[in-house]
Amino acid sequence: MTFRQARYEEPPIWELGGSPSTSEPEPGIARIPERLRRREPLRWPELGELEVVRHYTRLSQMNFGIDTMPYPLGSCTMKYNPKVSELLARRREAQELHPGQPEETVQGALELLWRLERGLSRVTGFPEVSLQPAAGAHGEYAALRMVQEYFRDKGELERRREVILPDTAHGTNPASAAMAGFVAREIPSKDGCVDLDRLKEAVGERTAALMLTNPNTAGLFESEIVEIQKTVHAAGGLLYYDGANLNAILGVTHPGKMGFDVAHLNLHKTFATPHGGGGPGAGVLAASERLAPYLPVPRVVKTGRRFRLDYDRPKSIGKIKSAYGNFGLDLRAYVFLLSHGEEGLKRISRRAVLNSNYLAKKLRESLPGPFRPLVKHEFLLSGAPLKARGVRTLDLAKRLLDEGVHAPTIYFPSLVEEALMIEFPETESRRELDGFVEAFRRAVTDTPEALKSAPHSLAVARVDELEAARRPMLSWRDLRNAANLEAPVPVPPPS
Amino acid sequence: MVRWIPDSAETEGELLKALGLSDTEELFADVPRSVRVGRLGLARGLEEPQAIEAVDKILARNRPYSGFANFLGGRVAVRPIPAAVDAILSRSEFYTSYTPYQPEASQGMLQALFEFQSLWVELTGLDAANASLYDGATAAGEALLLSRRIHEGNRFLVPASLSWEERSVLANYAAGHPIRIEEIPFDGATGGLELAAVKAALASGDVFGCLVEVPNGFGHLDEGWLELRALLGAIPLVALADPLALSVLEPPGAWGADIVVGEGQGFGAAPSFGGPPLGLFACRKEHLRYAPGRIVGATHDAEGRRAYTLTLQTREQHIRRSRATSNICTNQSLLALAFVVYASLVGPSGLRSLQADLAEEAEALVRDLSKVPGITAPRFSAPYLSDFTLEVAGHSGVDFLRELARRKVLGGVPLSDPRSPGPSDPFRSMVRAAATARGQGRARARYVRAARSLLAGGGAAV
Repeated sequence: MTFRQARYEEPPIWELGGSPSTSEPEPGIARIPERLRRREPLRWPELGELEVVRHYTRLSQMNFGIDTMPYPLGSCTMKYNPKVSELLARRREAQELHPGQPEETVQGALELLWRLERGLSRVTGFPEVSLQPAAGAHGEYAALRMVQEYFRDKGELERRREVILPDTAHGTNPASAAMAGFVAREIPSKDGCVDLDRLKEAVGERTAALMLTNPNTAGLFESEIVEIQKTVHAAGGLLYYDGANLNAILGVTHPGKMGFDVAHLNLHKTFATPHGGGGPGAGVLAASERLAPYLPVPRVVKTGRRFRLDYDRPKSIGKIKSAYGNFGLDLRAYVFLLSHGEEGLKRISRRAVLNSNYLAKKLRESLPGPFRPLVKHEFLLSGAPLKARGVRTLDLAKRLLDEGVHAPTIYFPSLVEEALMIEFPETESRRELDGFVEAFRRAVTDTPEALKSAPHSLAVARVDELEAARRPMLSWRDLRNAANLEAPVPVPPPS
Repeated sequence: MVRWIPDSAETEGELLKALGLSDTEELFADVPRSVRVGRLGLARGLEEPQAIEAVDKILARNRPYSGFANFLGGRVAVRPIPAAVDAILSRSEFYTSYTPYQPEASQGMLQALFEFQSLWVELTGLDAANASLYDGATAAGEALLLSRRIHEGNRFLVPASLSWEERSVLANYAAGHPIRIEEIPFDGATGGLELAAVKAALASGDVFGCLVEVPNGFGHLDEGWLELRALLGAIPLVALADPLALSVLEPPGAWGADIVVGEGQGFGAAPSFGGPPLGLFACRKEHLRYAPGRIVGATHDAEGRRAYTLTLQTREQHIRRSRATSNICTNQSLLALAFVVYASLVGPSGLRSLQADLAEEAEALVRDLSKVPGITAPRFSAPYLSDFTLEVAGHSGVDFLRELARRKVLGGVPLSDPRSPGPSDPFRSMVRAAATARGQGRARARYVRAARSLLAGGGAAV
């Protein structure tokens, strides 16, 4: 594909206009005790509406999005974000609601949350669902807090200090475990999956939980899931399901059936709410009967025809976020669930897995794929053979950008050398799949010089990330200081 | 059925055939029979018009605040949003993009986030900001954890005026460590921090941080903030601050705050029943390596042009795993974009005059409500901006507000903890009210009428 991204030499916004003038304080400000009153006016430009709109519209044209190109980031499930959801999320009856309004005035919002929870209960196979977490990692943390309180009640918290994870786990898993005060214990995989023998060695009376993504980040279904589940439960531990890869198994299996105790889902992956340049997302917690009492408050309950917020849950971990979750995104996810229905949901996973296997087969003609051939919604390739030509996976990723597609996830998971992790969700057509295959072939076979100097068609050439880290310039203030020849305050490297 | 999955059955058949398969079922041969599920029990899918109808029918059971005399305050702010904000947020190059891992493909979002960080730095007076956290409450939770990385101890001080919701979130963020969160009482007359209690708490040692709210949990200002730096010595001071207030208040960095967090929803995002919100976070550069979240830095490209990229990523979960400074991955980038677009459209003098006008509106509401028998407004004597706290004699705030809503008035948010309702709750009768727009004269009159008739026994018992 011939592709050129817009290239504006768009200055930062403060270079577009003058600073505010100082003036006499208005009466409302004169009331502020003088010692608390702002001495210097806020330093930000005064601009007309068109200046602001043009600035940010130009910036938008220097950004990839799903609406303009495929985004095969593995484990990120970059599927189409339906426009009807955007329309409905902007209804006055959705936006002009304050979380502090009396329950009687927000019955529709509570009903929508309740209906989405009921739907996700069926999708996950768990009786109770909470929509409070803001994102996947936030859901992980909340789930581990629930595990913690569960063992506290059983009097086992003192000894159950460990959370076990396979080395293919998303980075958020060990980070959440550590944040919750557990020791994250990683076990090496075998052929891309959990090594049962290593798991059996690792579990014991110190085990609080196993965190597992299934299918995992190698794109493989953990077929020994029943044995895994029995091993952890036999040791008195719990199983946590990371729902990042749920897109592969909708209507085929679910965490409840696989014997998990608690799960998080990402509505911004499986349920097509937009990623917004990194967020907002929306997390979901789903829990088995034994962990449900620990879900965050409030819970949405239905009494007769009326919906209310129930705070009377003595075992609850309390609140992990203000209000009731990211309602605007819950609404979008509900539209998605409603539109697809039972059959549509099943079609999603069948097509996502079909896309993934088709693409894996074609791309393995260019680069080797580790592990077994049958994959789920995503798969891994290794860029290691490129090294013989002095080229790395990073160069290949940059070269792919020139083809008008986003690069896959790279260098993760670490068990594969020079890894590329590729996911083409169900919303991508055969034409895009074949287009990607061709683009990939062109990129892999390009000259080392072309690969190492890529990209050429974007708003900027290869970005110097080393300079950014060595000499951190993190704000306008840093740039001003640098312009005044004052060295910015250095940031010491992580210990 | 909606057409969100492309291609005909024939085309799908060709893809299968290329794999040497005849049925998609074969793609799931690795899923054991024993964990297979049958029907999930969901309804049939809907066409777009039916889905719109179904969702609109549910939404019709809501009563948006715009249909009321609206004085809802607290962390979630109701403020007019220029139409241009949504025009920018609706650019699908922004809202359908992912975290800018490939900087060359994402300069637009990266530059916008760099501008956002710069704005929060200007508002707070600190050295550096990150590219957003989930919301104000979780940002306070991360600030607590950062404080403990830069100072030893197990006790964290918070004002007793902090809302129950934020205290609960903080407790969850602290739960992985042997941390005690301790409340500093407020002065019954001013609502401000009891500085003597801060001193006493510090004297017994082991304190690793202290949080204040700007304005405080009652909506009021407190000159005591200025004394804290000297009292705390090397102990980190965290301010949980409202961005609009910071357009007229001295930046907390100037009076010694080490970390400034906040809720940014009020800048350009609709309340939307409380989500998505925006967590704001800034700190000193010397502490940045312990700080959470994504950070955008300015650098150059291979041809010497200005460029932006995510930086200092070795703090983050995808690299450092269990030794990361936080587990956060997805953040609130689109809301950060809304924040900087909103502030740029309104401009610094516009923000200042908005805050000034809302403060005057709030003062007028106080003036009128204070004449209603049974209402003490304001409950505290310290100065305030848009929000203040009132007290309803002998009534629960929740019941009072419910009755007001029946009279088309949203009179504020209750300060009581719904987990433990009852007469022992010191906030049972307190309500935080706010001016939400310019020219609220008629709405104000309705509030006063409704409150008067209610408290004179003209309504159902409250």
